[in-house]
This record gives sequence, structure tokens and C-alpha cells, in this order.
Amino acid sequence: MIQADSLVKRYGSIEAVRGVSFRVDTGSIVGLLGPNGAGKTSLMRILTCYHFPTSGAASVEGHDVSAQPDQVRRVVGYLPENAPSYDDMKAGDFLKFIGSVRGMSGARLRARIDWAVETCGLSPVFTREIRKLSRGYRQRVGLAQAMLHDPPVLILDEPTSGLDPNQILEIRGLIRSLGQSKTVLLSTHILQEVEALCRRVLILNAGKLIAQGTSEEIARDLKEGMVLTVSIKGAPPQGLHESLAALPGVRGVSAVRALGDERTEVDLAVAAGADPSESVYDWAVASGHKILGLSRQKASLEELFSRLTSETTGG
Amino acid sequence: MGRIIAIARRELAAYFATPVAYIVVIFFLVITSGWFFFVNGFFAQDAASLRGYFSLWPIVFIPLIPAITMRSWAEERRQGTAEILLTLPARERELVLGKFFGSLALLLTTVLLTVAVPLSVAPLGFFEPGQIAGQYVGAILLGCTGLAAGMLLSALSANQISAFLLGVVFLLLITMIGQIPSALALPGWLAAAFTWLSLDYHFDSFRKGVLDSRDALFFIVLTCVFLYINTKVLILRRFR
Repeated sequence: MIQADSLVKRYGSIEAVRGVSFRVDTGSIVGLLGPNGAGKTSLMRILTCYHFPTSGAASVEGHDVSAQPDQVRRVVGYLPENAPSYDDMKAGDFLKFIGSVRGMSGARLRARIDWAVETCGLSPVFTREIRKLSRGYRQRVGLAQAMLHDPPVLILDEPTSGLDPNQILEIRGLIRSLGQSKTVLLSTHILQEVEALCRRVLILNAGKLIAQGTSEEIARDLKEGMVLTVSIKGAPPQGLHESLAALPGVRGVSAVRALGDERTEVDLAVAAGADPSESVYDWAVASGHKILGLSRQKASLEELFSRLTSETTGG
Repeated sequence: MGRIIAIARRELAAYFATPVAYIVVIFFLVITSGWFFFVNGFFAQDAASLRGYFSLWPIVFIPLIPAITMRSWAEERRQGTAEILLTLPARERELVLGKFFGSLALLLTTVLLTVAVPLSVAPLGFFEPGQIAGQYVGAILLGCTGLAAGMLLSALSANQISAFLLGVVFLLLITMIGQIPSALALPGWLAAAFTWLSLDYHFDSFRKGVLDSRDALFFIVLTCVFLYINTKVLILRRFR
């Protein structure tokens, strides 16, 4: 379990993390989402005791990051951004080194290395120097290093960055299976990744936590998560924006697409709790246009994300 | 202790995985032996003494030791591996000692190879083994102080190059500071302080082959002080 309470991290005059509180329960995968520079890495560095917080408190598996950093480091497996490792070492030697600093030796160390190598698919490169490995293999070496000591908590900073689509699927599968028994906090700016992997999402922007919950919950909290797509025949696209935006229950027009053959498709952002389908239909009938389709969609995490982060930027 | 050994072994392996170790060893052996036999004129002096040989060591250490220690912390930070190392369950002093012993192992390897010099001249005259042992002990103690200082400067530098340059300047200063009083007319107490601070001054007794406990203590205390500050730098950086 990870718990953070009003965490603040200042680097000189820059406030990278500004009062962040959240909780990650055991056996769940939580995604930390945010644009570059939102404070994701700073937050992870605090939780792994690489840096101490300027103020506020955090604990991992009940150990306080400021008071018991050694215990925290014992229960956490950390994959830093870009999966750094000692280039001059062979993959196997690197894992052996990490294991021995983590206090493992003999049969246990060998067994753990075998498990990590097997799980991360490292057998083909076990005796190769890390500097000669592809990006994907380096990332796997980093993951193997993070889970070598079978930690209850895994903190992964952009675990799939720089990988090709097949590798991304592999690593996601691995994280998903690890997440069944462990607490996993992973950061990413790829939204599909969060939707594919994470039960819960923490959205961070400019050092602040601006939303948390499942993506459905975030949408519900915003209460403006619905999009109504209307396809119309016979109406010129030019005037549509004004007339549709003025209808009751419509918060705005987010897109107008001319499809040709007099057909136009319009995305309407729906106001909280409203259903403008009826008024759209009445408007079409009154102005002599034909409605070809009306469909309601849940706003994607992508739309929520861009809305949230653009609203709070500079705030 | 296991952690310190694991880190020291990795450090030593890293030196030999790159050209650093080979350059250091060859540079040291060629310069010191070349100096001793050809420049210093060992044969012309016709004396059974290695004083001339060991005289040059503090000078050769000035570029050599920063070359060993420059990558120690600076490279960890540049490569991002500091984030791995400093999030392992090891105390800062274990990390510092591990790295220190790793670089000391490289220095000892180099020093061990120089034994060929005393061995090759031994049949030529009566050399005092105790004297040579004293000279070696002094050189190693001096080396320890240099390594600890170089590591600290590497921890304070953003990259290897500045760590190397800072190390050279610092060692040059602290080795030669004893020469300043004779160059400038300084008040007596200041001259004495400068002389006392100088590494070369404390190495002098060892150069003669005398084991002076005060000088040994000077090197040991200074080494510990640098290593201690190094751990504090690592800890402070977490609060940065």
C-alpha cells in the first residue's frame, strides 16, 4: 500500500510537487498520468526515497519515507525513467550485483535471477553487455532489476517508453500479471496505457493532483463527460455551430465534420445531467434538416485529460 | 559488509571494462620507471636507495588519481544509475566505502605492479626491505587521501571532465601548498600552517622510508574526513 499526504517537493524556486495526497491499495495497478513536467518523476522519487519531500508525508507498506527510508527501499522495486543500468556490465552480472546489494546470495540469489530472467524474457541476452542491447531489452533488464527481490510494491516510471508495439504489449502483459499480487504505481503520458492496464488513475498537472479515480469516476465527477454525435443531412456546416450551441443542454460544439453529399457530423459536449437529444431533433425538424443519427458516447480519457490539463495550466 | 564488497567489486570491474584501468596502470608504470632510471639517474647516483623513485609518486598521483575517481559519482548521475544505486537498501556510508575500496583496489593493483622495480634493482646493492616497505605504505596512504578527495569532487561535479579538472587542481594545490611560503614572504605561522597542510610535507618521512605515525595519522584522518563529507553530500542531495 502507498499513502501520500500533502506531499510538497521544491527544487530551489521550482515547486515540482504541490500538496499531493492519494492512496494506492495493495493488489492494484494505478496509473500516474500527466504531461511532461507535471511532477510524476518527482513524486516517484519521493516514494522510492531517492529524494526526501520538502514537506508532507508518505508511506509505503506502512514505512515512512522520511523516517524509515531503508525499510521503504527494501519493499519497493523501482524502474527509473529510461531504465538506467550499468552499460559496461553484462545483463546477468548486473542482476547479480543488484541482488547482492539487496542482501541476497547463494541459492536464493540464483533462483531469483532465474525467475526474473524467465519472467522478463532475458535468457537470449543474459551474457551480453547491456550497452549492446536494444531499447526493449534494456527496459526489460530494468524491470528484472526492479522485481528481483520480489517486492510487494513496484514503482515504474514510464515502463513502456521507447518500445515498439509488440514489446509494449509484452511489457503490459507482464505488469498486468504482476499487478495481481502487488501494488503497482506506473507513470505514463500514454493514455491508452492507463485505460489498458490501470484500475485507477491519478492525473497530475503542474505539480497538483487534479483528478483521481477510475476513468469513469473522473468523467462522472466532471459531469460533462458525455458527447452527443449528431449526423445531419441538408444543413450547411457554416451555420451549424451557432444554432446547435444555443440549444438547451448543449455546453458547446467540439467538432464539425463535413462528410460530403450534404451530410455533416457534429460532436456536442453535453452539459451536466442534461440530455439534449430531443431539442436537437426538434431543431432539425423546425429548420427542415434530416437527422441521420444520434449517438451518445463516453468522453475518452484523452478528452478528459486534455480538458483537465488545459483548464488548470498556470493555475 | 556484503554490500560494500558487492559495490567495490562492481567498481573494480567497471575500471577494467573500459580503457581507464589499463591507461592508469601503463601511465603510472612508464612515467615512474622512466623517471627513475633515465631522468633521475638511478645508475649514475650509484646509491642503494629508492628515494628518487618514490619522490615522483606524489607528482604522478596528481593527474592519475583524478583519472581513477572522476567517474565515481559524476558518471552515475549522468547515466541515471545514481537513481538505481541510491534507491537500493544501502546506507550512504556503505555506498561511499564500496566505491572507495573499488578505486583503492585499482590503485593497489598499480602499486603492486611497481614491485618489479625494487625487485629488479635489488641484486645491485644492499636495499633495506623495511625502508622500501615504509615507502610503499606512505605511497598507499597518500593515494587513499587522494582517492577520497577525488571521489568527493566527483560527487560535487556535474560530469567526469570537471571532476577530473577539479581533482587535478585540488591535488596540485594540496600537494604543493608547502612550496608557497618559500615563494612568498608569508608570516611564520601562516607558512607553518601551509607546510603542515601539504601532502608532500607529510609524505617526506615516508619517502625516506621512515614510518612516522603522525604523518600516517594525518593521511588516515584526512581520508576519513573526505569520505565522511562525501556521505553527507549524498544525504544532502536527497533534500535538494
